[in-house]
Amino acid sequence: MLAFVAPSIDYHAFAPELIVVAILAILVLVDCFTSDYDKSSQSSVAGFGLLLALIPVVTLAMDGTVRGMFGSPESGYAYVVDTYSLILKALFLVSGYVVVLLSQTYIAEGDYWEGEYYQLLLASILGMMVMASARDLVSIFVALELLSIPAYMLAAWRKRDLKSDEAGIKYYLMGVFASAVMLYGMSLIYGITGSTLLTEVAANLRQFPAGQVPPIVVLAVVFVLVGFGFKVSAVPFHTWAPDTYEGAPTPVTAFLAVASKAAGFVALMTLVFVAFPGNTSTIEPLMFALSAATMTVGNLIALRQTNIVRLLAYSGVAQAGYMLAPLAVYGVSGTVGLQAIIAYLLIYAAMNLGAFAVVITAARKTRSGEISSFGGLIQYAPSLAVLMCLFLFSLAGIPPLGGWFAKFAVFRALVGAETGWGYALAVLVGINSVIALFYYARVAKTMVMDPAPDGDLSPVRVPFSLRAALVITAMVTVAVGVLPGLVGHFTDSVTIGAALGS
Amino acid sequence: MLAQVSDVVDACAGQAECVTSYSDFLRSWLTVGIFVALGFVMAGAMLGIAMVLRPSSNRRGRFQEQKFITYESGVDPVGWSWTQTQVRYYIFALLFVLFDVEAVFIFPWATRLEIYDLFGLIEMLIFIAILALGLVYAVRKKVLQWL
Amino acid sequence: MGNDVNIGYLTLSAILFGVGAIGLLVRRNALVMLMCIELMLNAVNLTFVTFGSMLNDITGQVVVFFVLVVAAAEVVVGLGIIVAVARRRPGATADDLRVLRG
Repeated sequence: MLAFVAPSIDYHAFAPELIVVAILAILVLVDCFTSDYDKSSQSSVAGFGLLLALIPVVTLAMDGTVRGMFGSPESGYAYVVDTYSLILKALFLVSGYVVVLLSQTYIAEGDYWEGEYYQLLLASILGMMVMASARDLVSIFVALELLSIPAYMLAAWRKRDLKSDEAGIKYYLMGVFASAVMLYGMSLIYGITGSTLLTEVAANLRQFPAGQVPPIVVLAVVFVLVGFGFKVSAVPFHTWAPDTYEGAPTPVTAFLAVASKAAGFVALMTLVFVAFPGNTSTIEPLMFALSAATMTVGNLIALRQTNIVRLLAYSGVAQAGYMLAPLAVYGVSGTVGLQAIIAYLLIYAAMNLGAFAVVITAARKTRSGEISSFGGLIQYAPSLAVLMCLFLFSLAGIPPLGGWFAKFAVFRALVGAETGWGYALAVLVGINSVIALFYYARVAKTMVMDPAPDGDLSPVRVPFSLRAALVITAMVTVAVGVLPGLVGHFTDSVTIGAALGS
Repeated sequence: MLAQVSDVVDACAGQAECVTSYSDFLRSWLTVGIFVALGFVMAGAMLGIAMVLRPSSNRRGRFQEQKFITYESGVDPVGWSWTQTQVRYYIFALLFVLFDVEAVFIFPWATRLEIYDLFGLIEMLIFIAILALGLVYAVRKKVLQWL
Repeated sequence: MGNDVNIGYLTLSAILFGVGAIGLLVRRNALVMLMCIELMLNAVNLTFVTFGSMLNDITGQVVVFFVLVVAAAEVVVGLGIIVAVARRRPGATADDLRVLRG
């Protein structure tokens, strides 16, 4: 019997997660001992906690050393804090904070349980942060469930509303099915390689020479990646997304569309780059097919949407297709592809959250999600209309705005690979960007050209929290577009597991 | 069979080793044999006596309706077997499932309590504290109250 | 014990997983779909335990603990949502949930 050695825990590396756990515990206690009619402290504590957790992320990034826990230098570590995980943790914390800002008035004024909302939101963000550092199949699985299970509940958060229930149950069934498929793939990988540690999985998978990979390995890899395909709403696993986005409360939709999708991409990137770096012959065709189908189908269906949230949902599906594209050439482009995806994720988070912020703000007056209800927005809320145009054109990838740099990074990875597949995907991304421009421009046209549907031109009152969210997202969107070096400075330093011998 | 066994015992009478090992072995199997035989006799006797005594459901053309209801004795069942249960039981059931399953992490720790030492104790205390937080929440939200 | 391939157990778990997956796609009662999910997760558990025993490695069994707990949490949440739906629409099947489409 081996003697038990207590694992040494690097509390500095764990600090962001520990802070979120502590804030979560405080939230539960405060919720338990305050009146049901006054839960206003919850949102401020949650927002404060998320910003507090950002401090150790910054100090860790300034320190710059790669920290690993639960493992050995020879075998690799199960929990790694490096630039890759830190930049993503910062993304999750900041987008979580913006979601808290978006929720503050929405949840307080509507028919919702307010206390538990922020607890579940924080639990989900905690799962995402763990996901960014997890380098082991088991911890990836636990992180995935920790971020998904609260999200299932949040999707069904609207009380006594059949739409919201339907959103929740669809999301739940698809999500659980996906995680079961992924888990089956993980069990096969464990059986083939005899380890759940990603670095050891990679080492053991390299023993199969190219072209002689047994079918069971292909099956296992495909199962695991398809499981995350659901999470990032890649076609043909996207069917839950529009229904869930429309039925769920809008701040939750923003959270699902940005943070939850980013977490799915984080897991995909970790698995592809750390666990399966040698399985290019399996993954590249799969990712090519997923990416091409996702961007094309997402854009084509988005063309005929009349509801703004559904439109953003399908546009999000299409954006996921752009983000999947660098994975189709990851064997050649390597780190450049990784950096492109991360840059895209950061910019996508800012502009998509911004678009949802405008939708939520405008719906305070119009009480509707139809695109036609945005008519005349330029007359009674000119700043809102301008901001919405900003976010939409950024999503479309028009040059002076952030979305342009995101698309450019993806193009650079695809073309830089210098393979036929890379060029083919680059052409597809280009064609799809033109299609996407149509529906983004249609919303802009409605806001500027059409009259207000009910002729009511009274101004929209914008609460402080929503104003803050709008300012943050708009600043990031514009700054990144004007100074692309800003994001490049962060993402160019990102490498995954480089110092850990993988 | 009994006679054969005693023959073997007699044949080995002079040799101490043979007697103790060989006959003991057979005798223990003899016990098993008797038990098996008794078992068959008992079961057969009970079934046979019952068959003689009980009114038969299908022999001699006598059909008994009572044989086909859910409970042969006692209260006659009324209505359909799919009935509704108070939905408030389900919260208890859910809470039970959760807390019951969490115990799965405590058992392995308990079997190696000394080896994990103080580190394990603190970790488990944190784990239980977080679970207790959930319980406090349940109590405060009055889900554990009957009615 | 034993490093021989327990192909029987692996086949069984593959069949169980297939039954669960097909059941989830075919059946329309939310509760039955939940049961199918449990079937899939337990098939995974069987695979993990089989591989753990084949490889003489404890990890396979440890993973089962995590899967069990997560499955319990998932079912609790799923039942909660199903009860919320059932309160609004008694006897609703998955096909009746079609307010949202397009």
